[in-house]
Amino acid sequence: MKKIKIKGKSVEEAKGHGLKILGLKEEDVDLAIITEGKPGVLGMFGGEECEVEIRQKISAAADAKEILQEILNRLALVAVAEIVSEEENSVALDVKGEDLGKIIGKDGAMLSSLQLIVSSIISRDFSRKIYVNIDAGGYRSNHEQALCRLAKEAAKDVASSGIEKALPPMSAADRRIIHMALKEEEGVTTYSEGEREGRRLIITPKK
Amino acid sequence: MKDLIEFIVKALVENPDKISVTETQGETVSIIEVRVAETDMGKVIGKEGKIANAIRTIAKAAGGKEQKRVNVEFMAKEAV
Repeated sequence: MKKIKIKGKSVEEAKGHGLKILGLKEEDVDLAIITEGKPGVLGMFGGEECEVEIRQKISAAADAKEILQEILNRLALVAVAEIVSEEENSVALDVKGEDLGKIIGKDGAMLSSLQLIVSSIISRDFSRKIYVNIDAGGYRSNHEQALCRLAKEAAKDVASSGIEKALPPMSAADRRIIHMALKEEEGVTTYSEGEREGRRLIITPKK
Repeated sequence: MKDLIEFIVKALVENPDKISVTETQGETVSIIEVRVAETDMGKVIGKEGKIANAIRTIAKAAGGKEQKRVNVEFMAKEAV
């Protein structure tokens, strides 16, 4: 999201100056006044400048895509970010190109890092929590399917045996996928326990 | 590399005009120092250092081509 905080003698002046710096037109932006400012004596002395914030009007998905693309470009990777879907609080992006191995990283570490950074930036830009999902070469969707299979099988065991089961320690993102996958599952509920790297998901029979 | 880190950090903080990024190139290791306003330290470090570590992972990927180790350090800018 292009945005700028800028001061000027008047709101109009600050706005005009800011738009020029951003290279945007008035209809492309939202304007918020931070301080009104005060006119000085004879309009010259002792006045206070006003300050405004100018923010580009953009959807969360378009903003996320732009940020990811900027990062990929700066990494000198031959890859293009695309929007897959956009919902109220989540955005899904896909990366296509040549350097997918690098973008995925060891055990998906690079994808997770990119995802966290882009999510944080977007959530800040829009002042609410927005989850950004980034996939490359189907890595994440394959991984997600494998997790769901594992979860469903474990849930079946728990439901039939009545004995709760702990899954291996996983990242918050992976645990979230399983919580969601088993939300509708009959006969079981899920929760997490443990700290940091050791935090794991427990599937337990519903009473 | 510096450009990449600067772009990410600027987008994360509330006071993008108060950040500075310096890069010191050694023979085998490259040290990147990121300074941000004290109130923005939480934004670049994150819960349990998660954001700082994500930035390090991305920096490592950028440094990979030159086969150099990359150290990214975060600190609060002293009030001027």
